[in-house]
Amino acid sequence: MIEIFTLAFLMLVSIASVIAAFKAIIEKDMVRAIVYSAIQSAMYALIFYVLMAPDIVLVYIPVSVGITPAILLFVTKKTERYDGD
Amino acid sequence: MKKSEVCVIVSIIIFIFSLAYITSLGGLGYLPPVDVRKLAQIYLSSTYNPFEPTNTSSGYESVTAIVWDFRGLDTFFETAVFYGAIIASIAVYRGVSISTKKKPIGMSPIAKTITRLSTVLIPTVAASIAFHGHLTPGGGFQAGSVATVVIVLIVMVFGLRKVILKGLTKPKILLLRSLGLVGIGLTAIGLVLAGLVIGVNAYIFQNQAKPIAHISYPMWIDDILVGGSLLLFNLFEFVAVMAGFALVLMLFSIEEEEVRKVIK
Repeated sequence: MIEIFTLAFLMLVSIASVIAAFKAIIEKDMVRAIVYSAIQSAMYALIFYVLMAPDIVLVYIPVSVGITPAILLFVTKKTERYDGD
Repeated sequence: MKKSEVCVIVSIIIFIFSLAYITSLGGLGYLPPVDVRKLAQIYLSSTYNPFEPTNTSSGYESVTAIVWDFRGLDTFFETAVFYGAIIASIAVYRGVSISTKKKPIGMSPIAKTITRLSTVLIPTVAASIAFHGHLTPGGGFQAGSVATVVIVLIVMVFGLRKVILKGLTKPKILLLRSLGLVGIGLTAIGLVLAGLVIGVNAYIFQNQAKPIAHISYPMWIDDILVGGSLLLFNLFEFVAVMAGFALVLMLFSIEEEEVRKVIK
């Protein structure tokens, strides 16, 4: 029972991460795309936690939700916010 | 829905299903068994084994033991690569000075208050991750990246000029980073130096005593498991990673006009 629950949870989180990745790809506003990308990373962190890799979770959350969006925001500030066709 | 969006969806679905199919067929190498493997058993039995003092690391946490004891040289060179990347970023930004004449522009008082609270909470979490790295999941790199988040927050909310006016300048962070690196190096060769002084055998990256090298870092200090070199490595890595990340992020946050003046 617990295995089925774990697998169902993993599947749900994986699908959510794919949706967030898709939204990040098609989004024209870079800041919103960065937020979607951070949501995708948070979903990955959940997957790592369920798969019993707490060390990876501890480094993945600050790097992918804190530092990478910060770097991308600085880069967005230096370039353009909206993606033109 | 536009044609390009449909293409993206279809390609994502094809990618996921083909990857899953290839993996289930064994195309990415053989799938590891679910039960505990022989190598994992060796690591688990020698991470903390007080009955066999010459074949043990000294913490409860296998990952930290593997990273800083069993495969210490690997991690040392990973750290070296990381610092190479940071030195490259500093080299790109050489000569860029941050003028502190203009008034620092910050965010709203709400954001500032929340950030002031976070400047206490986040470093506490980071310190607990670093100090307990040999007991619970975590370690130097994890703690360093957690602590970097608070520096990013301060730079974003209060502005870079405020940070520099408060005294957190580039040379000081560089000094901190170098101290962390020197600490890691000295911990790695610490027992060799001690062995040269008192005239016994010792290895680099040695933590506990080995059959022909009877010298070791302290495992217990007053009933507290300190993990020998693991605690020292975690602490120095924490300082070095935090300073390295903070330096790069502070350089990135300099206004483009100031950078252009120098790079052009």
